[in-house]
Amino acid sequence: MTLFDFWDVLVLGVVLGSLYAVIAIGYTLVYGVLQLLNFAHSEVFMTGGFGGVIALTLVVPVAAPSLAQSAGYVILGICTGALLGATVAFFLEKVAYRPLRRRNAPRLVFLITAIGASFFLYNLAGKLFGRNAMPMPRMYENRTVFTIFDTTINITQLLIICSGVLMLLIVDHVVNRTKLGSGIRAVAQDPEVASLMGVNIDKVVSRTFILGGLMGGAAGFLFGTTNQVFYTMGFLPGITAFAAAVLGGIGNVRGAMLGGMTLGIVEAFTVDVFGDAWRYFGAFGALVLVLMIRPTGILGERVARTA
Amino acid sequence: MLSKRVVKLAIPVAIGALALTACGDDGGGGGGDASGTVFKIAYQGPLSGDNVDLGINMENGVKLAIAEANESGDYDVTFEYLDADDRGEPGQATAAAQRAIDDEDVIAVVGPAFSGAAAVAAPLYGEAGMAALSPSATNPDLTQQGFPTFLRGVPNDAEQGAAIATFFAEQGVEKAMVIDDLDDYSIGLANVAQQGMEEAGIEVVRESVPSDTVDHSGIARTAVTSGADGLVYTGYYSQAGPLAVKLSEAGFDGIKLAGDGVKDPEFISLAPGGEAEEWYLSCPCRDLDADQEGRDFAERYEAEYNRAPGTYTPEAYDAAMMIIEAVAELGEAADRQSVYEAISVGTHDGVAKTLSFDENGEYAGSGIYIYRVENDTITALGDITEITG
Amino acid sequence: MTATDNTPTTGAAGPIGSKRAAEAARLRRTAWYANPRFKRLAALMGVALVGAQVTGEQGTNRDIFHAMRENMTGPGLWLWVGACLLIWVVREFLRAPVANAWSTARRAGTGPAERARTVWRRDPRLRMLALTALLVFLIVLPFLVSRHWQQVLVDQIAIYVLLAIGLNVVVGWAGMLDLGFIAFFAIGAYSAAFWTGSLPVAPPFELNNFAVIPIAVITCLVAGVLLGAPTLRLRGDYLAIVTLGFHEIVYLMAKNWVEFTGGTRGASVDRFSIDLGFFSYQWGLDPRPYYWLQLGFIVALLVLFIRLEHSRVGRAWTAIREDEVAAAATGVDTVRFKLLAFAIGASTSGVAGVVYASKLGFINSEFFIVLFSVLVLSYVIFGGMGSIPGVLLGTAILIWLPEFLRDTVPAQDRYMYLGALLVIMMIYRPQGLWPSRRRVRELHMAEEGTATRAMPAAGGRPATTGGDTPS
Repeated sequence: MTLFDFWDVLVLGVVLGSLYAVIAIGYTLVYGVLQLLNFAHSEVFMTGGFGGVIALTLVVPVAAPSLAQSAGYVILGICTGALLGATVAFFLEKVAYRPLRRRNAPRLVFLITAIGASFFLYNLAGKLFGRNAMPMPRMYENRTVFTIFDTTINITQLLIICSGVLMLLIVDHVVNRTKLGSGIRAVAQDPEVASLMGVNIDKVVSRTFILGGLMGGAAGFLFGTTNQVFYTMGFLPGITAFAAAVLGGIGNVRGAMLGGMTLGIVEAFTVDVFGDAWRYFGAFGALVLVLMIRPTGILGERVARTA
Repeated sequence: MLSKRVVKLAIPVAIGALALTACGDDGGGGGGDASGTVFKIAYQGPLSGDNVDLGINMENGVKLAIAEANESGDYDVTFEYLDADDRGEPGQATAAAQRAIDDEDVIAVVGPAFSGAAAVAAPLYGEAGMAALSPSATNPDLTQQGFPTFLRGVPNDAEQGAAIATFFAEQGVEKAMVIDDLDDYSIGLANVAQQGMEEAGIEVVRESVPSDTVDHSGIARTAVTSGADGLVYTGYYSQAGPLAVKLSEAGFDGIKLAGDGVKDPEFISLAPGGEAEEWYLSCPCRDLDADQEGRDFAERYEAEYNRAPGTYTPEAYDAAMMIIEAVAELGEAADRQSVYEAISVGTHDGVAKTLSFDENGEYAGSGIYIYRVENDTITALGDITEITG
Repeated sequence: MTATDNTPTTGAAGPIGSKRAAEAARLRRTAWYANPRFKRLAALMGVALVGAQVTGEQGTNRDIFHAMRENMTGPGLWLWVGACLLIWVVREFLRAPVANAWSTARRAGTGPAERARTVWRRDPRLRMLALTALLVFLIVLPFLVSRHWQQVLVDQIAIYVLLAIGLNVVVGWAGMLDLGFIAFFAIGAYSAAFWTGSLPVAPPFELNNFAVIPIAVITCLVAGVLLGAPTLRLRGDYLAIVTLGFHEIVYLMAKNWVEFTGGTRGASVDRFSIDLGFFSYQWGLDPRPYYWLQLGFIVALLVLFIRLEHSRVGRAWTAIREDEVAAAATGVDTVRFKLLAFAIGASTSGVAGVVYASKLGFINSEFFIVLFSVLVLSYVIFGGMGSIPGVLLGTAILIWLPEFLRDTVPAQDRYMYLGALLVIMMIYRPQGLWPSRRRVRELHMAEEGTATRAMPAAGGRPATTGGDTPS
């Protein structure tokens, strides 16, 4: 492999990795507070993609948008995607998980609920919006922005990397520096004691879902921008991001970021060396290997311990 | 706040009401004017899944043939339609074929539409002694395996692959990348095209992109760095759209060509930035605008379904018509075996072409057409022999 | 949540007292829209809105608003709103008479039911009789249903029942969360294809399909131990993701190692046949002979597993499931027993794989996608994990439902209803359709915990089931 190849593939990997990292946040936050493998998070991601398409179809991008227009479209898309994702996550928690929480149901019951909710949501989306893939309406002319180490970086790639990193910084800040963050960490550590200390657990859980949903929805929009939007689009990225969360140490926010980046880069290199057919082989192989060596992920578990 | 109790109450109601509406929507199928014996003609192909548009194009062709036959009043028997959805996947083909076989009114099948599904379903139809006349399964191997009742109504991919190779040689391509999607049809076509090009002295790089791939930036990069000046994609439109986008982003500037699985308007709408422009599409399917009969068919079709006929619509229509005529000829006494025997030696002058078969069930005839995407429409360039001279 | 009483309490009499009381009442009063009654109405309207989408038009990607527009203006929405309003009225204003009628009906029913139950418990002959009747019914079942349902029975229900009773050992009894169960199914199916000489690679010697079964069992056993040995020390959720990863790897091998497996193009497999010299039989297109064969396998395995459950091994699994640390402390060799459960599950899956391949006569990689692992797991939990009748019933119902819906709702929507059913079921009956008695007790203990704890245990750690030890 030449050096040229290396940087080229690395860029593709970082683009993928930032998406995975942002999605993985949603898994890891929810796991932190509820110890729940929230399978339905991939559907939150999918909703974000459709949110973007809906918003942009409504405003109908003009043929040759100016810079300001383009920026407006992008921001509109991200916001709609994130808001729709958060809405779905919020109602998911309220309708599906809260009744279980009230009766202290075992974890497997949560898991099956999550699977059921996921089936329901993606099939509903398929029914409402059609089961064919659709492209995101064009918001800008996608061209090369700059070249680094002979590797060109285009607008979409730059957009994904920048907004991904920005979102990760925001989440990191929220979890470590705000009141909501300390609530999340407290609940993750010990919900009973947190509740005695005056933390409103319902509120914290609900907001955790909203935070995860915002991230997932925005990631869905970004994913739709570079690929396509379709009703099953959440499944494979969802599973990979889920693996990323586990790889980093589930419940650990920085671990999820690290895990996401790692899996994105591993995937890009796997595709480059072995071909598209083996795409997920590297990621899952790495996952199994890492977990055999370090049973609680690279950085270990728990939201609480990142503080 | 949505309390547990509300949920407790709301959900049973939801289910109750749901059951009600579900029942309400149902019904109203069939009817028919009850003249003579009823024969069903099944269509097996993708009626759901990623490539549903290709399947629906054919299904509508079959339905149109059945409707016209019943309305014409020329026949003493009545025809009905049965759908056998296989999603275009070999894994679903057994169940779909069983559905057609288990219904004793089904006299013959149009399909299976895709080659992978056909390889799985054809032996079952063989065991049941029922004709399976495929309007679109083009993998060359299918007629070489001795399936007892499989008939093919289109030129196979040996011809299409050779045509692609000739076309690339004609265009002066020196190094070509051939991409398949690991599907039966796709691998078959890619193999023939690769072989043809290598014989013509074109260097070939072979890649596989599975049909469930969501991110095509990797393969686009590989295509650019390979230095190929021509690219052949042998999968279906649902993947070709995003692939075209990524190829254009990566700056691939060679000749791009795709097989008949991509010849669908959906391909263009999946690449909204005009990335599908200048793609060539090869297809053993004829351009309907070329003569009066074809234009008439297109008109009738559009009146019925509010859309233009798609790829293989006329072929499916022809196949269904051929079955209908064979059954009408045999009358009430028609059974699966006799219908198969009648079709396999018969000739049918259809909208798209004249259908007849050799002893292997292979289509007796030829003709590969080249199309090109120009200004967001698929434009016919003509027969391969005309283009390459 | 109970309706809050928002009439002012006139407790302390006197002018000042009443003034304060009025003040307090004003503060206590909630806006009408915050009244639980109207919140419930709003929630029901939400249900109506979603319901109208669920039963409405099919969308198209050419115009993504098409379906929503149709659903919002069509009669479906009004039907839903009407139904939900009706429920609301009944719930809010006619609650007492309905509840009375219900409890009377219930009381009338409990007497005979209770008596029947005691007779059932006391008399083992009755139980034997019922079981025999059930078995006879199952044997003649194929004659009672159409060809389509025979196929469903053989291709799906019987196969998944085999898988589910295997997974039940792993999840229900030993309490390990396995999301990669179909990987062993794939290994079994490909073993069948390999040893009958159907794969592109020729085996050293060809075998009859029946002779492949022990080989497939051993292959799966080895695969199960190889995967299990290094991973069983992982905690519940990590085990889940590793098994998921393992599944993905097996699937990718099946799909991409075309020279060996045939990939998505698949491989045709010989059907079952038997040739004993004096007697030979070839299974063909008719599904019924397969059904009886499968029934035989299922009954044999069930007898084996039920004996196992009530043995020392079964008790060890229970101990591990309920509290692994305590089990280890009392001298249970946890690793060995967990490995045993894993291997037993894997080999059952392998048997199912051989049967599946030999029935369909064709396999390809797409039969073994991750979704199926998830589905089997939901069948087991839906039925009531750990409980054999529950698992059988759950699997049968969850497979029957989408097939049944095929003709009543648009075929592509079937899994939406399945998903909704799973969610609703888990909210109302988390123990499953027919839970084992032990499981009911565990759940009950968890809920008791809610009631006696000082605060509402929202967000509380769920009870330690599902293979999780407190970390």
